[in-house]
Amino acid sequence: MSGDLQAVWLTALLAATTTLLLVPIASPLAWWLARSASPFRSFVEAVVAMPLVLPPTVLGFYLLIMLNPESVVGGLWVELTGDSLTFSFSGLVIASIIYSLPFMVQPLQAAFRAVPESVLEAAATLGASPRDRWLNVVLPMAKRGYLTGCVLTFAHTVGEFGVVLMMGGNIPGETRVLSIAIYEHVETLNYDAAHMLALGLLCFSFLSLWLVYRYAGHRFEVVRG
Amino acid sequence: MSRQLVIEGSLQRARFKLEIDLRIDLSDALGILGATGAGKTTLLRVIAGLERNFFGRVEFCGDLWHDGNQFDRVPTHQRGLGVVFQDSRLLPGRTVESNLAFAMRRAPTRDTKLACETLTEALDLNHLLTQPAEMLSGGERQRAALARALLARPRLLLLDEPLSANDADHRQQLIARLAEWLPAEDISLVYVSHAANELAQLTQQLIVLERGAVMARGETEGLLDAPSALRNREVKPVTAVVTAIDLACGTTTLQLADEHHGVVSELALGERVVLQREVADASDLGASLQPEPEKNQD
Repeated sequence: MSGDLQAVWLTALLAATTTLLLVPIASPLAWWLARSASPFRSFVEAVVAMPLVLPPTVLGFYLLIMLNPESVVGGLWVELTGDSLTFSFSGLVIASIIYSLPFMVQPLQAAFRAVPESVLEAAATLGASPRDRWLNVVLPMAKRGYLTGCVLTFAHTVGEFGVVLMMGGNIPGETRVLSIAIYEHVETLNYDAAHMLALGLLCFSFLSLWLVYRYAGHRFEVVRG
Repeated sequence: MSRQLVIEGSLQRARFKLEIDLRIDLSDALGILGATGAGKTTLLRVIAGLERNFFGRVEFCGDLWHDGNQFDRVPTHQRGLGVVFQDSRLLPGRTVESNLAFAMRRAPTRDTKLACETLTEALDLNHLLTQPAEMLSGGERQRAALARALLARPRLLLLDEPLSANDADHRQQLIARLAEWLPAEDISLVYVSHAANELAQLTQQLIVLERGAVMARGETEGLLDAPSALRNREVKPVTAVVTAIDLACGTTTLQLADEHHGVVSELALGERVVLQREVADASDLGASLQPEPEKNQD
């Protein structure tokens, strides 16, 4: 497989893995943020939204510090798997999950907020347990939120650069994703190859957003405060 | 088998307090009457286990449902309820059929003659089955919600103004059906309504709520016929004139200054009466009335 095709494959794999893992991680978090009256809610909301405003290099730097083999988490990972979290695909997945968290949580939070408590009460009086209500009332009503969250997370992960560079470097087949490959082509003045990949990313980004606006439409909103 | 309903305790909100101590046998259907804001809906929500802030005790048929602040000792979905809320609350994004199926799939197995087809026919829903819930009128929504509640095969049916958006014909039909079905299906009923004729036809016992407390309790017929029994507080006489009598709804309309108020009483058209209530409370159902005494010929 050529280097660029490998980068395309690795990027798709990273984006798909991140999206799939974020669905179960973000769902309970978004539900709690949407329904809780806890005084800690705004604090948690701010933490979740941090990647939206933080420079990716800052986030990547702290992740590098937290996950390197000398750190507690990184050391534990090495003990468990024999592999390092830094400069590896596994590390990239963890970094991407943290970096893309608000892109999944916020559409879900908006979708969950739109499910009226009164409807859940009605379902309870009809014999639906909490799990049943979640699966058969909340999820169908929040499906557009899930579509939006998945598309945005996937597209955002595809376009990751700063965090990947800090956490993963540029190891072909392991951490060399599309954005890194474009950067490398520009560095080596191989503009034709850079054009090809950049145009591909441009089209992909447009299609993703079009999909969101076409099918999730006005239901998508970024949650504030 | 005893169908004792016990509700003891209180619920405090910013501008409202429900304080209740009620032991009542639901072998006879119970009606709840009271002005807007008296606590009728809140009381139904307490029975249904939807009020987390109620502190006290709720029991039905010897089962302890709510104990202290443990509002979900028996959670709502395990109480065997059928509830029709004021706003119907059909599941959005689903058709009427899907809403009915939602209830049927979760209903306990019980011997019943109320098949889905029987209900949809009787409640005039057959032509609406494939309609999304959002497309229905208020009355249609109420009928669909009533069918759904009955299809949940409840042992206790809680109805909160379930027919208010239906026309008089539909209301009469539905009341007649309910009066026939509920005893036959062995379903206990708690019925909240402002309509005296509905309460008279469907319930045998009545409580009157005011400002979160039970103000009067007794047989429905007796309480509706003798509204003076409801009076036990400070009064201020105000003269009013009977301007309309609606036999179908059992209400009498009084003109009081420039306002019209619907109340329940047996009065003749044009009769002048004295409201033994504060003016601000004159719109309350069950306002206490007596004919105006003849003026002295001084």
